Amino acid sequence: MKVDLSDEAIEYGLVARQALEAAGGEGLVQDAEVDPSRRTELVEPVLAELGAWDLQPRADADELQASAALCRSAGYWATPYPVAERLARPRDLGVDGLVVVDPARPAGTVAGIDRRWAAVTLAGDRSHARTVARATPANRNDAFVDDLDLEPIDQAGADDVALALTLPCWTLLGMLDRAIDLTRQHVLDREQFGQPLAGFQSVQFQLTDAEVERSGLDVLARYTLWSVLTDQPGAIEDALALRLAALDAAEIVLRVTHQLHGASGFCDETSLSWISRHSQPLRRLPYGTSRTQDQLVRRLGRQPLAGLFDEAGDDPLVLRSS
Amino acid sequence: MGPEAEALRRELRGLVGEHVPADYLGAFTADPADLEVAQAFCRLLAAQGLLCMAWPEEFGGRDASPWQQTVVREEMWAHHEPRGAQYMGVNWVGPTIMRHGTPEQQQAHLPPIASGEVIWCQGFSEPNAGSDLASLQTAARRDGDGWRVSGQKIWTSYATMAQWCFLLARTSKEERKQQGLTIFLVPMTASGIEVRPIATMLGPHHLNEVFFEDVWVTEADVLGEVGGGWRVVQEVLAFERVGIARYARCERLLALAPQVLGEAWDDVPLELRGRWARMLTHCRRARLLAYQVVASQAEDRVTPRDTAPYRIAVTTLDQDSAEVLVELAACAPAEGEAATRFRRAVEDHWRYAQASTVSSGSIEMQRILLSRAMLAAT
Repeated sequence: MKVDLSDEAIEYGLVARQALEAAGGEGLVQDAEVDPSRRTELVEPVLAELGAWDLQPRADADELQASAALCRSAGYWATPYPVAERLARPRDLGVDGLVVVDPARPAGTVAGIDRRWAAVTLAGDRSHARTVARATPANRNDAFVDDLDLEPIDQAGADDVALALTLPCWTLLGMLDRAIDLTRQHVLDREQFGQPLAGFQSVQFQLTDAEVERSGLDVLARYTLWSVLTDQPGAIEDALALRLAALDAAEIVLRVTHQLHGASGFCDETSLSWISRHSQPLRRLPYGTSRTQDQLVRRLGRQPLAGLFDEAGDDPLVLRSS
Repeated sequence: MGPEAEALRRELRGLVGEHVPADYLGAFTADPADLEVAQAFCRLLAAQGLLCMAWPEEFGGRDASPWQQTVVREEMWAHHEPRGAQYMGVNWVGPTIMRHGTPEQQQAHLPPIASGEVIWCQGFSEPNAGSDLASLQTAARRDGDGWRVSGQKIWTSYATMAQWCFLLARTSKEERKQQGLTIFLVPMTASGIEVRPIATMLGPHHLNEVFFEDVWVTEADVLGEVGGGWRVVQEVLAFERVGIARYARCERLLALAPQVLGEAWDDVPLELRGRWARMLTHCRRARLLAYQVVASQAEDRVTPRDTAPYRIAVTTLDQDSAEVLVELAACAPAEGEAATRFRRAVEDHWRYAQASTVSSGSIEMQRILLSRAMLAAT
């Protein structure tokens, strides 16, 4: 089990973050909200310059880690483009991206991006996916989500699911990085009762609650990359566990960071507001917290997640019973 | 962790399976036989060179890797710490004496620890000095060629069974309260020491008050420099940075639940099974955070930014998982050895878990350390 990111992947993520900042940072998502059809022209050139489409996350650890680092950097700026979904494209379908969907209500953040999309369910059913014509005009609270029409291909997508679940968690992790960075600076700058907010222990402790969630998600995300890359028997369960942790972390981090920003956190001129709103599709699709948990439980059955004691039948407490 | 560490895990599980009763819940129960299990197990580990394997070879250890040490912590805590109180002597009393002790102190104290024959207690906390340890008032005043110690310690684990106390006392009043503190290695048989057990939900023979009334200690019992105790304490805390591998017991009990419940598992409410899965995820999270600290420790670059999130995550995991386990235990069959043992183990875990955010450095102290690190200038 190797869970550290390589220096190269860390460096690539940093370069990607700087490149996206130079291209506009959060200005990208603000511009894209005004006209979702511009998402491609706003973001794709930057990603192409970064060599994003040359990445082969299924190839080896270096490629996978670089892909994850790119997703994290994209999340940091709430980049209005389905980077993780593009990188998760299957090798064998001749498509440009892959979206994990709930078959009962397939949807994805693909609005306005004219690409060949595939969809996969947790059961491994793969389809071609096309956006459904909207009955009402798009508005900014759609967060670039379109419903999808599915045209079945095969049931051979089991190997695609874990990666396609994992990479968006890295995007969400990048959003949480940004939310905490913004909040740290805010509580240092903003003064009340004659001192920075950071001087109040109640503020400090809330910030640490958020950081525990973020750092926990960070290590789980790295572990899951290893599980996916090495094709562990429980890789899909690992990815679902990561997603569950990511959703929990997002709820806590964004609640704390909004609270500590006060009213300013809801303003369009405040970066947190954009991060928070655009985290929504990642947190709700294909499944929100409860249904992600249900899916994990159903897949696990009586078998715990891989760990120190996943062969509990050998435990003396059970073995030495009559 | 590597093949050596995993081989060690198998070896330790084999020894636990063979020499520790399946219903063992630690050395500090009302049954004296449990203490004897721990004492015998320590002697066994010592005989096989496993008790002090983290120690340098020159002191009888094996120079075990940080990952082997991690395996020991995990396996021992998961199986209700069959080393009893001796983990303390092995983990940090011995290593501290190696660093700061005189050759005579090393000769006197290290072999008994290495052979599994001695129990130490830690005389740190006082009624008015818990998290704010440097405010302690137990004082040692010079008297001829030795010292007289007077004061009170509290929450002292294992004091009723300990032969030695690693005592922190004030030897002078200085400008800063962290100055003027000194470590003494005090025999618990010394005249003037009185131990009063404190009845607690952690069970008998665990927490105690220790009173020192003009206890005579010699210059030879001073560890390190007079007045240099705070630095030694910081080192002690560094040895304990990873601390108890609480996640290992949580994970073992959670993993056992479906085995013990058998067919009844399918009748467990889906919501509760969801909490079970979530706790398993939290176990993994805490374990990975611990490994991150171990890796940093191996490179001597540990910071509160690594340790505090781990300590906060693992202590809250202890309590959160205890609540889930209690509910799962209630779903276990009413009869059968495995179910009975499981219920007792879960009940024991729940009681101990209540203290996990308080003992060995409260969760508030961890939050203070983490917030300082986060808010420091970058």
